[in-house]
Amino acid sequence: MDANYKNLHMKELEKTKRISIAVTLFILVVLIGVLSFKRPKNLYYFNTTETLQQLASEDLFVSLTDINNTDYVLVDVRKSYDFDRGHLENAVNISSSDILEENNINVFTELQNTNKTVVLYGKNPEEAIAPFMILYQLGYTNLKVLPVENSYNQNSLETKLVEVEKYDNDIKTFIAESVKKATELSVQKVIPPPPPPRKVITVEKKKKAPAEGGC
Amino acid sequence: MVKKKVAKVLAFRYKILALIFIILAGGLVLLPKYKKHEGIKPETLLSNVINPERYISTDNLAHKIISKDPSILLIDVRDEKSYANYTIPNALNIPLNKLLDEENEMYLDQDQYDLVFFSNDNFSADQAWILCNRLDYTNIKVLKGGINEWFSTIINPAIPSENMAALEFELYNFRKSASMYFGVMYPEQIKVAKKPEAKPVAAPKKVITIEKKKKAPAEGGC
Repeated sequence: MDANYKNLHMKELEKTKRISIAVTLFILVVLIGVLSFKRPKNLYYFNTTETLQQLASEDLFVSLTDINNTDYVLVDVRKSYDFDRGHLENAVNISSSDILEENNINVFTELQNTNKTVVLYGKNPEEAIAPFMILYQLGYTNLKVLPVENSYNQNSLETKLVEVEKYDNDIKTFIAESVKKATELSVQKVIPPPPPPRKVITVEKKKKAPAEGGC
Repeated sequence: MVKKKVAKVLAFRYKILALIFIILAGGLVLLPKYKKHEGIKPETLLSNVINPERYISTDNLAHKIISKDPSILLIDVRDEKSYANYTIPNALNIPLNKLLDEENEMYLDQDQYDLVFFSNDNFSADQAWILCNRLDYTNIKVLKGGINEWFSTIINPAIPSENMAALEFELYNFRKSASMYFGVMYPEQIKVAKKPEAKPVAAPKKVITIEKKKKAPAEGGC
């Protein structure tokens, strides 16, 4: 009886030992996992659906007259070469390919913390939308776009305000008009004189000479 | 006696284990923060975005439409009203604010077609492209310059001036014939079309007969 009990007891102890080892290993694995997990440098703050919803409800643009507002910080997203040739007054240059670099991200974070609005501009509004969208999805909502086109006239920067997504020409009307104009013209026009008749030169085949006298 | 002791120790161990597991499970609560991180990494997205390869030119697109390229699928991301007024032939309308609706996913997340996004310029289309690229949808392009560029190059191409290179004229001729394909008519086009009707029924044939050389009399044989 006693031996039987002891035997059972040993078995029980062995079982716990095994469980303990397994659990220790498991916890070790989890610990290693947690420690070796590197937090990604940049994380999205909004998912795509949220971004889309918020963009639809927001006014993305500032007008050229407002940029002297002290709460606005102008950021030129063009290449530094273009920036050096000429840029808007008080603008800083963070080219779009560098926006995710650590020191630039720190700049954006600081501006957000101090409640400043970042106004992005590039060669044209389309150039500013790429850095805008990326920073926005990372959670920087203090962003605007300055809808301007920048060009150089003898090395001096010319900035022109443009309207984004404006339907410039009514294509439907243009096509209808062109059809109308063309048909009208053809009605007015006297039928063009017929082309001169073609001269046909028929060359008659030489008749085969009859066999001339042979022997 | 011993049995009781052992059971006590064991119970204590299991309690500790259970506690550890509960703590670990608590860690799961922190996870939803990372759920927002859907799609590709911001760094990858940035390098995709600054790559101009996503653009397709209006000439290239016109060529593809005219040659009836079956792989191309046009997506108009403007609102319904603009779409109803004018759109590039055979384009689908997915307004930007409905881009991520579930019913549109089947159009966007596929690899059979080359999608081309367009809007009036390429501002909205770029926005749509960036969102889709984050979700790792492939084969999407953006029409460079959008509908406005489409108008000024394909529908109403500028006539090159005399001193321009021959290549410009070639391009103009292509664009002009493309514009005819898309419904624009030119006055001279009508003239050309009318020409066959004006042709006289049968022009009198002028026959110039070439006089036959007189046959030389048979010359003596042997």
